[in-house]
Amino acid sequence: MSLDYVKFSNGFEKFMPKEYRDMVEHGPFGKKVTVSQMGSFKEVLEEHPMCAGCAMTLFIRLAMIAFPNPEDTITVGTAGCGRLAISQAAIPFVYGNYGDQNGVASGLSRGLRLRFGDKPKDVVVMAGDGGTADIGFQQVLHSWFRKERFTTIMLDNEVYGNTGGQESGMTNRGAVLKMAPLGKKFEKMNMVELAKVAGCAYVATVVPNNPRRVESVIKKAVLVAREIGPSYIQAYTSCNIEYAIPTDKVLEDAKAVENDRYQFQEYITEEAKQYLTERYGYKEFLAKPAAPAAAISGKV
Amino acid sequence: MYLVADINVEICAAKNCKLCTQYCPEANTILYSDELGKDKGFKYGSAYVAVDRCKGCAQCVWVCDNMAKNHAIKMVMIDQLPQAALTENITYGEKSTTAVLTSPVIG
Repeated sequence: MSLDYVKFSNGFEKFMPKEYRDMVEHGPFGKKVTVSQMGSFKEVLEEHPMCAGCAMTLFIRLAMIAFPNPEDTITVGTAGCGRLAISQAAIPFVYGNYGDQNGVASGLSRGLRLRFGDKPKDVVVMAGDGGTADIGFQQVLHSWFRKERFTTIMLDNEVYGNTGGQESGMTNRGAVLKMAPLGKKFEKMNMVELAKVAGCAYVATVVPNNPRRVESVIKKAVLVAREIGPSYIQAYTSCNIEYAIPTDKVLEDAKAVENDRYQFQEYITEEAKQYLTERYGYKEFLAKPAAPAAAISGKV
Repeated sequence: MYLVADINVEICAAKNCKLCTQYCPEANTILYSDELGKDKGFKYGSAYVAVDRCKGCAQCVWVCDNMAKNHAIKMVMIDQLPQAALTENITYGEKSTTAVLTSPVIG
């Protein structure tokens, strides 16, 4: 869990694959990289078996770049499409048995704090809508109630895409899917409000068609989880297979869904605002200077 | 044969948007070179595709056509590309990458 874990043992450099050498020499470890530099440095995410044009892959790629300290981060996932890519990155990945991911992350996060003290070691859970809102729902909610300090990211494709298209709690009412031919009879779960009620210090929804926003939201969520409390990000990452979206229209669909039910929302507690401002120099939460009196009464 | 994305250097090097590098779902696939296009007198560098990693989804085509409005990316059959970048021929630098273009089809 430091820069050293990726470095070569003496004498082994020439035997390592080119991709690995590039990652050690030109990867993001120990540097600050941003999405605007994409394409000019070696990313930690490698080739993976996810479908062509998958929006979830794009989101995971952006998330890996957004981690504030990738060399001090552990990702936790569970069954579902996402783990196929998350596990193919040069960031340690822990596989929680289906639904266990937030329980596993709770222990991991506590253990890392005992072992490393104040040195930040980030734990980030990335699981699908099924893993977070259905099968892992109890463990997710309880980790929030217990104020476990790690980030939970839901990769919401609104379907069980990995197993053939069953409806999930996050599927929209009325959606007809291959394994839900009569259409879903219940509303989409409102996990954002549940997260607020359960005590998350930072909650946001994003779609991947705005890379800078994805980057900003993930950075804030991970930083808040270091000291203040749990953070939750809900990302719309369409399944172009189960919803039959042509791959070159995936971003068009993301835009339409953003306008429909995934408008950008950000909730942050006052304590978290103060922490980000004082500790990490965020200026966006500072009180706006009062408008000069002349400007207010200018029309009089 | 299969389709891969191909970026027109002359159109790309005239702009400096780099949007396709941010929207490709595959990592380390659309890369940016400050050198590409400079030899032809263009102001900026150009993006290029590591064709061995491209899955042919064409999201970059949509981004280039609709968001950047440059129309610089087309999908082409890989055997119709005389020269292309492959991961093994890409060198990472401090702020940019360089690629030696070779025939992408073996034999």
